[in-house]
Amino acid sequence: MKTDPDVIVIGAGGGGPVVAKELGELGIRVLVLEAGPWYGNKKWHEPNENRGITKESSNPGDLDGSLYRQQLTRLENDMNDPLSGKFRWGAADRRRTPWYRNIPDRALLWQSAGIGGSTMHYYANSPRAFPEAIEEWPIDYEELIPYYEKVEATLPVEFAPTVSKEALFYYGAEKAGFSMNQTLNVTSSGYRPQPNAILPPNEHLMDPNYSMEELSHMEGCTLSGHCGQGCPYGPSLEKMAKRSTTVSYVPLAMKTGNVSFRPNTFVTKVLTEYSASGKREATGVQIRDTWTGETEELRATVVVMAAGCVETPRLWLNSDLPYNPWVGRGLTNHYMDMVTGTFDEETLMEILGSRSVNPFIGHTSGGRLDYPGLGMIETIGESPGLSAQLLFGFSQYGYNSLHGSASDMWDQRGRLVGSELEKAMEDYSRTLTLSAITDDEVQFHNRVELDPHITDEHGKVPCVHYEPSKKSKKRREQLTKIATDILRQAGATKVHRTDLPSNYFIHLQSTMRMGYVVDTTCEAYQVERLYVADNSADYNALGGPNPTLTTQALATRTAELLASKYFT
Amino acid sequence: MQATFQALTDAFVPSVQPEYASPFHETDMGVHNYIILSLNHNISIQQQLNHHIVPLAYPTAIMLNSAATQLVNHHQAQAFPQCLFPGGGMFSHLSRKDRIRTLAALGNLDIDLYVLPSPFQNNAGMVKYVTDALSRFSLFGYYSEWPAYGSTRVLPPDDRCLEFFPLTWQQVGYPGVSLGYRDFRGFLLTMAEVKT
Ligand SMILES: Cc1cc2nc3c(=O)[nH]c(=O)nc-3n(C[C@H](O)[C@H](O)[C@H](O)COP(=O)(O)OP(=O)(O)OC[C@H]3O[C@@H](n4cnc5c(N)ncnc54)[C@H](O)[C@@H]3O)c2cc1C
Repeated sequence: MKTDPDVIVIGAGGGGPVVAKELGELGIRVLVLEAGPWYGNKKWHEPNENRGITKESSNPGDLDGSLYRQQLTRLENDMNDPLSGKFRWGAADRRRTPWYRNIPDRALLWQSAGIGGSTMHYYANSPRAFPEAIEEWPIDYEELIPYYEKVEATLPVEFAPTVSKEALFYYGAEKAGFSMNQTLNVTSSGYRPQPNAILPPNEHLMDPNYSMEELSHMEGCTLSGHCGQGCPYGPSLEKMAKRSTTVSYVPLAMKTGNVSFRPNTFVTKVLTEYSASGKREATGVQIRDTWTGETEELRATVVVMAAGCVETPRLWLNSDLPYNPWVGRGLTNHYMDMVTGTFDEETLMEILGSRSVNPFIGHTSGGRLDYPGLGMIETIGESPGLSAQLLFGFSQYGYNSLHGSASDMWDQRGRLVGSELEKAMEDYSRTLTLSAITDDEVQFHNRVELDPHITDEHGKVPCVHYEPSKKSKKRREQLTKIATDILRQAGATKVHRTDLPSNYFIHLQSTMRMGYVVDTTCEAYQVERLYVADNSADYNALGGPNPTLTTQALATRTAELLASKYFT
Repeated sequence: MQATFQALTDAFVPSVQPEYASPFHETDMGVHNYIILSLNHNISIQQQLNHHIVPLAYPTAIMLNSAATQLVNHHQAQAFPQCLFPGGGMFSHLSRKDRIRTLAALGNLDIDLYVLPSPFQNNAGMVKYVTDALSRFSLFGYYSEWPAYGSTRVLPPDDRCLEFFPLTWQQVGYPGVSLGYRDFRGFLLTMAEVKT
């Protein structure tokens, strides 16, 4: 982009590209700045090894599905290692360490830098918020519906197909007394397939006349289970089965001819001036090239922060913007837990007609149980390294073997080591894991703030504190028991409870809350022309449902409101 | 330092039979190296002109040995006279169970934080973060494809290549990278049904 863009968007994750596409379609010129690399773009053939042949890309012709497939190796260590994986919170150059966040506790804060952001590794579960949770917001659920519908049609969203692990889950949920919830707007408890941003399986998937190789180049999910590794299966980049924003909103934004994306660019400061009327307003940003360290100032009429729940407040605080006690405050994370049931072959034979569940097959999370008032439960089927790490290696309970006899509820609990671990992993193909995801209460003390002592190349680093409220703890306990019951009802002979630490972050939300930091249009109260379009604008934790669809619906709405305020 | 991390993975992950541990003859398939790499590839900070990596492996080894010594002194763990991992400190003199006890004590901060080396000295958050990470790294290293990078496994990630099929994947029945599976059992619900 030779002249100044109209709008600068900071961050190309779940929310940023949505704003860009919507504005681009209205003829508004947008520059999206992204800290991480770009996979699947010819201008960066080896995105982790050198800085490529250009700084930004706006031509959809640069996008290349076969390159994407070559780069997304689907190997869990190569892709998901939190320190050096291709999907990590860090610079494109993997010889460097990740960017540091100080979390003084047992912690895993799982975000990814790059075009697509954390949707690169997300499971694409795209449920709407519970209407009762939106009732607390300063806007109405009804007002969100048309935006939900637009995002659902654009991604697009379809209910997940049933594979073995979901069939087993529905069977258990039914026996536990739940029935199917046939809706998108959930007001009562029940199970249903996940509404996922994943293209439905190709109609020929079960036809042996088509080889898997052929099918992996055709449109539709192949049930490969590689959602978490990015899923590069499809006929072209914009038709890849799992709809990370990289393959959905980013190409659509580029097609408008008005949007350019610039990877490897870390925004270090939001620039402001005082307007004629004496109001503080955003005028641009300061950036730093992550390969060369060169800095630059860029100007625009409007700036949209979509850097995620940690970096958006960090950027505000590092930019010396006006003091607001709620910036970085009210962090929620759906205080999660996991239970894993092991089944014997006979039981599985009876229910599924096969001797194994093979949890790695199908959508990584294809089934859910909504429970307004408590949260939700969902199936999870990760690859072995991620499963072992998260289910048996990460717990606030401690070591199962040091705790003597287990409770009535769970045969094992907490970390497993040595032969216990070996046994648990030997059973991997006959397990079903359910995740309990809590309707987490907003608390002022849960926060992202600047570390007073530690600085990296982008300024003071963020420090994250989170301790669930009593209510959140109680809800998690109830949900975990329900999930355990579902496993037992399905016939599990053994149930392990992970008891995850509270600082396990995958659904971070509400650190720049609507009604406190941003108004109902998502513009900052104290800085005009500055908007927020990521999970941090959420007023609360949505009642438990996965956050991204709501962020994308809200971003669609924000783009519309922003355009009519500043560009008509 | 190497020995301390061998003692650590030996307590965490199942031991591989020597005949399967080839070509490296390490019962943890070399995962202690993965932990060392990970600890030294964790944090970097800016000080004036310098961008420093803060290497954590060495102080972590000292922390483990220091905590082990405290447990032994308080009769919460028993030290074998011989070192089970040549070159190791007190942590390598403990039984597997006592090594796990040591990790639990660290995780619960049931030790004197003052005697720990920097950056752990009186730094509960860092002690908890790193102690926990040791277990996550061990399990992820062991059950992911990392060991199968073989002779290239300690190189920077973009210079590694898979040399064989991961042994643990074979053991747990994971087929590895897949193009897809024919396990489609239909749809329970479609968008068209809820939209009407
Ligand atoms: C394993 C896993 C599975 C998940 N599955 C689901 C799911 O199924 N459904 C769901 O709804 N959610 C899921 N999530 C959560 C989901 O990833 C997030 O809700 C979503 O990505 C949030 O969008 P965002 O825009 O707030 O942040 P992000 O997607 O994290 O995007 C922020 C972007 O901004 C960039 N950035 C940050 N700071 C700067 C800066 N200063 N300058 C320039 N760029 C910057 C980042 O690099 C990043 O690309 C999952 C998360 C994990 C870890």
